[in-house]
Amino acid sequence: MKDFELVSHTADLKIRVYGQTLEALFRNAVIGMFQSISPKSEGCQVKDDRLVCSQLPVQHEIKATGPDPEALLVNFLSQILYVSDVNNEAYLDAMIAEFTDRFVKATVRGVKINGFDVEIKAVTYHDLHIEQKNGVWQTDIVFDI
Amino acid sequence: MAKITRDDLIKIDEYTYEIPKKYRSDMLVPARVFMKESMIEDIIEDRSLDQLVNVATLPGIQKYAFAMPDIHQGYGFPIGGVAAMAIEHGGVISPGGIGYDINCGVRLLVANMNHEQLQPYMATLATALFHAVPSGVGRGGKLKLTLGELDKVLGDGAKHMIDIGYGTPQDLEFCEEHGTMAGADPDLVSEHAKKRGADQLGTLGSGNHFLEVQKVEEIYDEKTAQAFGLTQGAITVMIHCGSRGLGHQTCTDYVRTLMDYLPQWGYVLPDRELVCAPFTSKPAQDYFAAMIAASNFAWANRHLIAHWVREAFHEVVGKDAWLSLVYDVSHNIGKKERHMIDGKMIEVIMHRKGATRAFGPHTPQTPLRYQSVGQPVLIPGTMGTASYVLAGTAEGMDIAFGSSCHGAGRRMSRMKAKHTIRGSQLRKELESHGIIVRCDSDAGLAEEAPIAYKDVDSVVDVVHGAGLARKIARLVPVAVIKGG
Repeated sequence: MKDFELVSHTADLKIRVYGQTLEALFRNAVIGMFQSISPKSEGCQVKDDRLVCSQLPVQHEIKATGPDPEALLVNFLSQILYVSDVNNEAYLDAMIAEFTDRFVKATVRGVKINGFDVEIKAVTYHDLHIEQKNGVWQTDIVFDI
Repeated sequence: MAKITRDDLIKIDEYTYEIPKKYRSDMLVPARVFMKESMIEDIIEDRSLDQLVNVATLPGIQKYAFAMPDIHQGYGFPIGGVAAMAIEHGGVISPGGIGYDINCGVRLLVANMNHEQLQPYMATLATALFHAVPSGVGRGGKLKLTLGELDKVLGDGAKHMIDIGYGTPQDLEFCEEHGTMAGADPDLVSEHAKKRGADQLGTLGSGNHFLEVQKVEEIYDEKTAQAFGLTQGAITVMIHCGSRGLGHQTCTDYVRTLMDYLPQWGYVLPDRELVCAPFTSKPAQDYFAAMIAASNFAWANRHLIAHWVREAFHEVVGKDAWLSLVYDVSHNIGKKERHMIDGKMIEVIMHRKGATRAFGPHTPQTPLRYQSVGQPVLIPGTMGTASYVLAGTAEGMDIAFGSSCHGAGRRMSRMKAKHTIRGSQLRKELESHGIIVRCDSDAGLAEEAPIAYKDVDSVVDVVHGAGLARKIARLVPVAVIKGG
């Protein structure tokens, strides 16, 4: 199963994220957010349009809350985006430690970067509907770029 | 939800189309789009008109939800959207209707030397500008601010930059809000936002932001052009950028805060990104004071970049080279304004998202020197085509609250642009037309290729034809400097 794919949008960046569980959807949203903006990092390789690194030496614990799963996802990704921006890092994996509909605690793991192809300004609510289709959780996410 | 088709549009005149209030039961006012027949296919292709209809449902909206001819799909509001909410009648402010890049805008400077005089220096100048003005994702600025200094920038904007030795006091006269919008409260900008912005003052960023050296190719109105200091063959410098991470985080923070209050106001919104609050409520007032602070950061940002540009000109051309500020406009902002609506002067909170204020002659907000001709309206085009200087009109004040378009407007996704156009090929093509390119990312260049945008000449023709603003001058690129 795919973890995410790019979807066409006139001006911004839109991805469709999948997961067997909500936790997996949140993890794949982190991967999709960073892999879709082409991070550049010395010592890593680009394979099939993705940055592949043998080690992910930097990590941060991220906690987020939200009144419903959609708000929780926006708040979670916004928090990660902030940490990425101030530390100049990209996160290529996330381990979800605790998860409810209103709270998530995770450890994101990644690398220091030299930049991205695209700068994400923010995570938006536009077209964000988390739903289960044929047993698979999915949602679109639009990033302002 | 049904998508708007050509059959849903009523033609009002050659440049104005309406989506009537009956189109959807939740619309409070009709929606109006400024465009011409040949643009309709492109515009109805994405969901921008559906987004405009969503705007027409927001509490307190007056007259129409307007869209400028550069309209394209955004999130919440369409890009190119204009909406005025009556403050006294429960009108709301919506952070998503202003955008994450608070006070993204354009600054135009004109040189005291013409194209012929500066041409021998142009390649060196382009390289000097590329090094003088940091651009691209994650590149910090040359000026690192402490949090205390940053608060002064948030409070006083471009004025503070002059206080600490950058630019000249005359620059302030030629900025919307004098580069220092009143009502900022730096304490309402989060620590996170300040941390994201602390090293980004004086940086362009990436995406569609750019710095361009241009030549005035054509003048349409001599008298107005003269008032703006523009003559045929003159060299101009255009700076397009906004409030960087500080603005992005400020909008993110308040979208979240307002979302928490949404149940208490009971609004039923067609898109959560339209989250809003009654303008007179405390959460809305807090957002507005933080938005003003972020706007001041953006004015200080463009002001500092202009200072580096002047320094680069001095370094390459000599001390006699000087750049005067023509004007600095915002095209992502919320403002308190007073407009005549149905015979009454009404105070509104004006949302312009991807739209430029275009006030006509004899308005108090217009600089003294431009009183008889109207406010300069700066329309950046694409790097291979042209940009425009327009002037606000008296009739535009009545048509769409003194508003104009903000650029050419995208028509092709960045993803498709990258797959359709090779950046290296585009670079060669631009250079074969005599345009110098300084951009360290071919992918970034391809995303902003002219083919990814609507035809700026057509967009501006609609603005002129509809009476929103008058064409004054056409500027063509000589050197393009942008981040990847």
